[in-house]
Amino acid sequence: MSRNRLIILGITAAISLLYIYMTWIFAPPDVQLGEDVRIFFQHVAPALVAYGLFGGTLLCGIMYLWKGEMKYDIIGAVTIKLGLLFTTITLLTGMMWANAAWHSYWNWDPRETTTLILWIAYACILAYRASVSDRESRAQFGSIFGIVAFPMVLLSYLSIRIWDTLHPIVIEPTGLNMEVEHMMTLFVAMIAMTLIGLILVDLTYRIDLANEKLMRIRMERS
Amino acid sequence: MTSGLSAALAIAKKDIVTQFRKKFEIFSMFLFALIAVIAFSFAVVSGGSVPAEVGSALLWVIIFFTGMFGFAPIFLSESETGTLRGLATAPIPAWSVYLGKVFYGFVLMGIVEVFLVPIISVLFGFSILNDPLLAFGTIAVGTLDLAAVGSMASALSMPSESKSTVFPLVYFPTATSGLMLLIELTKIVVLGSGAVVIGAGLTVLLIFDILLAHLIAMLTLSASVFHFALSP
Repeated sequence: MSRNRLIILGITAAISLLYIYMTWIFAPPDVQLGEDVRIFFQHVAPALVAYGLFGGTLLCGIMYLWKGEMKYDIIGAVTIKLGLLFTTITLLTGMMWANAAWHSYWNWDPRETTTLILWIAYACILAYRASVSDRESRAQFGSIFGIVAFPMVLLSYLSIRIWDTLHPIVIEPTGLNMEVEHMMTLFVAMIAMTLIGLILVDLTYRIDLANEKLMRIRMERS
Repeated sequence: MTSGLSAALAIAKKDIVTQFRKKFEIFSMFLFALIAVIAFSFAVVSGGSVPAEVGSALLWVIIFFTGMFGFAPIFLSESETGTLRGLATAPIPAWSVYLGKVFYGFVLMGIVEVFLVPIISVLFGFSILNDPLLAFGTIAVGTLDLAAVGSMASALSMPSESKSTVFPLVYFPTATSGLMLLIELTKIVVLGSGAVVIGAGLTVLLIFDILLAHLIAMLTLSASVFHFALSP
């Protein structure tokens, strides 16, 4: 592992420790939510990272179609997989929080529904990619699919503004609608999650790249 | 631009003409929709009637599923008969091929809807004539939106090994976002804007605008990447 990677890994570990300290000890209990507020950071940060990763899928799709380099397609597939991971975390923590706050794991809240659809949509892209055996077509058509699926991400993000919802609208045009300590904690949580996400993208990309090379060697041998 | 549009219309016309020669496809789409109505009625009819908000939502769910039959063959039939190569090499821009297929899908679905919408509204006991302008606007934009997604999904399922399994996999997730908005709008038409709870400060017009934005986003995104779908 190169020196730079180790440094980034160290920084991420430090920020993650700070993130754990801030969510569980530093952040004061909320006026309304009480101690339940601690799940908030575990819920919002992965959600935003997942949106970012799906945005990365869109970018990689555009870049692949533009440049035609296979590495963009591999990164695109990686962002889908990791986006799914972070969406799963979002859904699970959301369900825990929903059970604590609204006494039911699933409420068919518009944002819950759209996030679940988002999960299914990107899982469909993965399944679709697996069904195309030709490598070039898989990259090309997978990229197109990644681009046309993106409006769903926007709709999921906007859903709490379109429908009447149980979800609180935290990010308002005038600024963030929460206490300063919570804001700071969320900020640290965001940085930690983003760094973890980026490291995972890097690692998964290198694994997939190695896999790709292995497949090519096998194809040549046979 | 104009030559691209006229090429799109020519492709749409060609498909509509071939469709009318083998009438059974439209008819079987319509029959499928009726079967879906019956199947849903088992789930939702209670005491001899269906709540208006459930019925109006089911209208779009049924159209959505019927689209599976209408939109899947749009490009798959071309690639099966080998005429896709002709379309790909024709001296017209790729987006006009896509647009032509969207027009065709729109007309095909529109013909089915002319019969389907009145029948469903009678059977499920709701009226879309409370606000005819919004109702027809919603149906027109919604059908165009589903056709836009369906044509793209059909093109995307061409290179796959199991085409018929993969089509819904592409069509459902991309169409669901439009479907949610369509159901919301139709509920507003049927129940009146006062009866439906929508977010604070949001008007019917805004939801319609989001639907329109979705349609435009789908059309432009698909049209701009479509030459990649035709090239291999």
